[in-house]
Amino acid sequence: MLNEKSGSIYNRLAPWIIPVLLLIGWQLFTMNESVSGSILPPPFEVIRTGISMAISGDLWTHIYISFSRALTGFVIGGGLAILIGMLNGTYPFVEKHLDTTVQMFRNIPHLALIPLIILWFGVGEESKVVLVAIGVFFPIYINTYHGIRSVDKGLVEMGNVYRLSRWHLFSKVILRGALPSILVGIRYALGTMWVTLIVAETIAASSGIGYMSNNAREFMQLDIVVLAILLYAILGKVADSLAKLLEARLLKWSPVYQMKK
Amino acid sequence: MTQKGVELQIKQLEKSFGHLAVLQKVDLNIKSGEFIAIVGKSGCGKSTLLRHISGLEKATAGEIIQNQHSLDGLNNQARIMFQDARLLPWLSVLENVGVGLGLEQGWKERAQWALQQVGLENRAEDWPSILSGGQKQRIALARALASNPKLMLLDEPLGALDALTRLEMQSLIESLWLEQKFTTILVTHDMNEAITLADRVILIEEGAVKMDLPVDLQRPRNRLNPAFAKLEEELLGHVLGREQVDLLEPRLRKVEN
Repeated sequence: MLNEKSGSIYNRLAPWIIPVLLLIGWQLFTMNESVSGSILPPPFEVIRTGISMAISGDLWTHIYISFSRALTGFVIGGGLAILIGMLNGTYPFVEKHLDTTVQMFRNIPHLALIPLIILWFGVGEESKVVLVAIGVFFPIYINTYHGIRSVDKGLVEMGNVYRLSRWHLFSKVILRGALPSILVGIRYALGTMWVTLIVAETIAASSGIGYMSNNAREFMQLDIVVLAILLYAILGKVADSLAKLLEARLLKWSPVYQMKK
Repeated sequence: MTQKGVELQIKQLEKSFGHLAVLQKVDLNIKSGEFIAIVGKSGCGKSTLLRHISGLEKATAGEIIQNQHSLDGLNNQARIMFQDARLLPWLSVLENVGVGLGLEQGWKERAQWALQQVGLENRAEDWPSILSGGQKQRIALARALASNPKLMLLDEPLGALDALTRLEMQSLIESLWLEQKFTTILVTHDMNEAITLADRVILIEEGAVKMDLPVDLQRPRNRLNPAFAKLEEELLGHVLGREQVDLLEPRLRKVEN
């Protein structure tokens, strides 16, 4: 009984062993001045900076701004991607007219659009949101389209034979069948979302985590630069965990999730 | 509740995919409430015939008349059981049965009734993925029964089940049919199953009806009855062709002794 319990605590802690060891190593490595503080500041200093910025409120402002840019862009880009992916997957007529165009645009690295986007939208909020929206569009589009196309034809035929209404056929058979694939697209797009935002904020912004880091570089505030990197790691992990949670909820019928009890 | 099953007249039905003729001038009359088994080698067109009756395929020529009306498009009266259960894995067992009622208002009670008919009312809240193959087919049967169909089309629904489960399913299907008297068409490659269940066995070869064999045995049928064995032998003879049956005969005789 005791053994079982300590086993479960160990299982919960196990994923964090390596991150904690890395932190300890980092502290030991930088503590005795063997590495100059201008190359890598010790973690304690980074944490101290983080705390003082949190107290002054600067940190929260930057996080909030970055987060709302990421979310707005994600919702717009992801929403459009799911919509167009579904239309293309369902109606051959739409696919015939739209797919080639989408595939052409997909092969343009979206970060190459930054100069154009800045010229069009300026350095304000719009340019960041637009870039994130473009960045998340394609992974979600591809996976939605693929998901709809690979729904078991036998199930659709069954739905037809059993005279399901068009709405039920879509919501109970096609959409549910495509959902695992759509969720893969969403998880993948969360990664693209951060990358796009960091680059956009580094190049042209006057707020946000990317700006904070880039600004600190100019004043050689290495602790803030490292803090920004850590923040991205934490925010990325949080976003991924939320996506995982969503998956576990929506796909609870799948044997994969039933075994994980 | 006990409405009669549909009556079907299949007239000169033809189907070809490109140059390949799958059905050639099939004529068949099916009485209301009759249990028909369609047998034949794989690729003979038996499943295609069933798909035409369900309205999933469009004939090249000829027509199917159901209760005096020519069929066009999906057959509203028909419910199909496929070889695979085709359950929606993301819906509970009960909801899957509800699909048979189009998930329209008030489906729940009726679905519960149908689950009782197949003896799985205690699995209503389970996910289909944890059920055995036989249980999945029973759910599919409940789904087909739920809407009180007048025509039941069975496309080798027991083909993938183990021998014991298959016997159970056969008697379940027979008892439900005896009770509700829906017209039933069973496509199977199992001669024994055909004779166990059907009033008439139709043999299809190269897309045409080759034999129409009435089975006048008392239900429930006893497989050890010599008349049963004789019918099975006759049917096998036609399916395989005469000379091959000569090889089988000594074995069959031994069984009879």
